Amino acid sequence: MRQEEVLSNSLTETNTGIPSGKLAMWLFLASEVMFFTGLIGAAIVLRSGYYEWPKPGELLHIPLAAFNTFILLSSSMTMAMGVAAAHQRDRKRLRFFLAATILLGTAFLGVKGFEYSQKFAHGYFPGTSLFWDCYFTLTGCHGLHVLAGIITNGWILSLTFRSDFDAQKGHYVEISGLYWHFVDLVWIFLFPFLYLI
Amino acid sequence: MSVRSVPSYAAYFAIWAWLIALLVAGVFVPQLSLSKMNAVLLIFSIALVKAALVTLFYMHLKSEKIPVWVVAVSPFFLISLAVFLIFVGIALS
Repeated sequence: MRQEEVLSNSLTETNTGIPSGKLAMWLFLASEVMFFTGLIGAAIVLRSGYYEWPKPGELLHIPLAAFNTFILLSSSMTMAMGVAAAHQRDRKRLRFFLAATILLGTAFLGVKGFEYSQKFAHGYFPGTSLFWDCYFTLTGCHGLHVLAGIITNGWILSLTFRSDFDAQKGHYVEISGLYWHFVDLVWIFLFPFLYLI
Repeated sequence: MSVRSVPSYAAYFAIWAWLIALLVAGVFVPQLSLSKMNAVLLIFSIALVKAALVTLFYMHLKSEKIPVWVVAVSPFFLISLAVFLIFVGIALS
């Protein structure tokens, strides 16, 4: 890996030597891990006692979901590259990678929306069965988190057009990046749980 | 002021390639002649590897200081405790 020395903003550092915003985001993500663990854990327990849970591919479209996973993993890459561009104070590349991340995230939600519309057209709604309760709850909560990430990245993209962006707000990209990768992490586990097993 | 290294774009792309390869591998696991338990174990092992790649390299946990590691890892101790208590509850019911 190429080594490049960068300096963090001294105004945001804490006594631990870690920027306060970054530490705060890691703490928030730790709480989000507990949030999704509660949901997924409840789904696991409910599934273990529910004999009518469908087989893989029976009710859900695996290739479409796999393609959606590909989209989200790609958005994680573009987000990481955006963070690197922010550290290098390369605003042009930062804007490109932020825009790409936003577009890919929006595409993920678009595919998810299409999946939902197909389920509704076949008469599957939240409340139809325990499986659909779990499916819509888990993917719905995840989708809301993706939407929040898109809005945040959109706001940061708008900030990149300000003259004081690099000096004052460049670290926002790294903090937002941590959140976006977490959203990807959740889907890395949700996808196999709902679609593959 | 603190100092940290920044991975190259090529490194991020390489990680992405591994993630996609693991995604494809995971999708084809159900096609293998494995028992349900073995298939589940393999699928979630692949997911764990993907999660590790994202956490260590995209989230830069690999180069972070100890306090960040403590915050990042601590939920999993709580999760392990919760899972243990769930199984104890199931066994006692």
